[in-house]
Amino acid sequence: MINSIKPLYKGYIVSNLVALAITGFSKYILAPNFWANGATPIIYSEFVIIPFLMGIILSWYLRHTDASSRKLTGYACMNAWIAVVLSFIFLGEGIICLIIVSPLLMSFVILGAFAGKAMFRRNNQTLNASIFAMLFVMFIVDSLSVHHYENKVADTIVINAPPAEVWKYVVAYKRIESPSKYWLFRIGMPSPVQSTADGYYLGAKRKCIFSNGYVFDEKIVTYEENKDLTFDITNQPRDPEIMGHIDILRGQFLLKDNHDGTTTLTGNSWYRLYVFPVWYYDIWAESVTRNVHLRVMEHIKQLAETK
Amino acid sequence: MFVFIIRYFGFLKFVPGLALLFDAQLKLWTLIANPNLLDWIDDIEKEVLTWPGTTVTNHKYGGLQFNYHGKELGHIHSNGLLDMLLSRKIKQQLMQQDRRVQDHHSFKNSGWISVYLKYHDDKHLAIELFEHACKLHADKALNN
Repeated sequence: MINSIKPLYKGYIVSNLVALAITGFSKYILAPNFWANGATPIIYSEFVIIPFLMGIILSWYLRHTDASSRKLTGYACMNAWIAVVLSFIFLGEGIICLIIVSPLLMSFVILGAFAGKAMFRRNNQTLNASIFAMLFVMFIVDSLSVHHYENKVADTIVINAPPAEVWKYVVAYKRIESPSKYWLFRIGMPSPVQSTADGYYLGAKRKCIFSNGYVFDEKIVTYEENKDLTFDITNQPRDPEIMGHIDILRGQFLLKDNHDGTTTLTGNSWYRLYVFPVWYYDIWAESVTRNVHLRVMEHIKQLAETK
Repeated sequence: MFVFIIRYFGFLKFVPGLALLFDAQLKLWTLIANPNLLDWIDDIEKEVLTWPGTTVTNHKYGGLQFNYHGKELGHIHSNGLLDMLLSRKIKQQLMQQDRRVQDHHSFKNSGWISVYLKYHDDKHLAIELFEHACKLHADKALNN
């Protein structure tokens, strides 16, 4: 039965099964903090080594087919695409997340496929065994390492209104009606639309409402009128785009009186990433956070400057 | 875009594997933008490998490297950029003969040339250049 399956399909099936098995092994057996709190990071190995290995496995099945570079690149992309679809179906990953991860996955599957092509053309068993051993060691070391990454994103705008006027809209603001300019928001990523607060005092509860109805629960931890509003995120929505990928920890608005009738408004956010490598995902996290800031801050600017 | 990345982020090529990853992304882009180019690179590889003493390896900064008795003749990045080391004199001659032969995209004052493979005919130019480079290497080996 299995011999009647075309090498290409065998390559797709086996590489995805291997990827699934290794991901499960990493997530449920090796991840050091899995049993502690369930917040297992998705590590470098799962986004780099596994796709690379998937490419090598695909090439192994195609080693006698003399596939051209065009076909091999296409097959590698298809293999990555299958992995993405399987992640959507079985791992419950969000579509935006999968759009973000796709270029990384495709690149490493292509890289693996061409590395595999070169390996199997040379057919040096010592070299091949060394490459697999190196990948295995990298995987084990990475899986057993502590993964912790937090970052802060800061953005600043100048508002043509005094701090007291700006402050009115910093704590809470009415619904944003203008369309978003950021491409991820335009294709469906939830964007902030409104903020509400129980009151204007230290300890008050605040809510940040997103376009899809999701709500971030917040608590004001610093309340210096016309100067500093800092709030901790006490509960974030269980959205597949966010869950297990990023925790927003704290937000802050700082107002600086420029003594010329204008105010410099600074928005700060602190977050923790659960997806690695950071050099890839932090670019996206910073970009999304920055655009959340700018959407809110430009709305505040518009409200404060409207007489 | 390629020139921009090479100019401003070229220093990152020294990070192990990063240039290879970048080349994989170029393959993906080429598959979308000009898929025939991947076939032409294959055709060049097949032709050059029929010549005695030639081999291909992965280039350390991404792409396919062509060698003659272990020495590099030139390499083709996956966006179709062919880089080849000749002498400055031959470079000048080739640049005068064919406008497709250009100064190397990074090393202007050297014997390196660059050719952007865009059309089917560029494949033949690339093969001619590799043939030329092969002869130069063979003559050099004979003289030594």
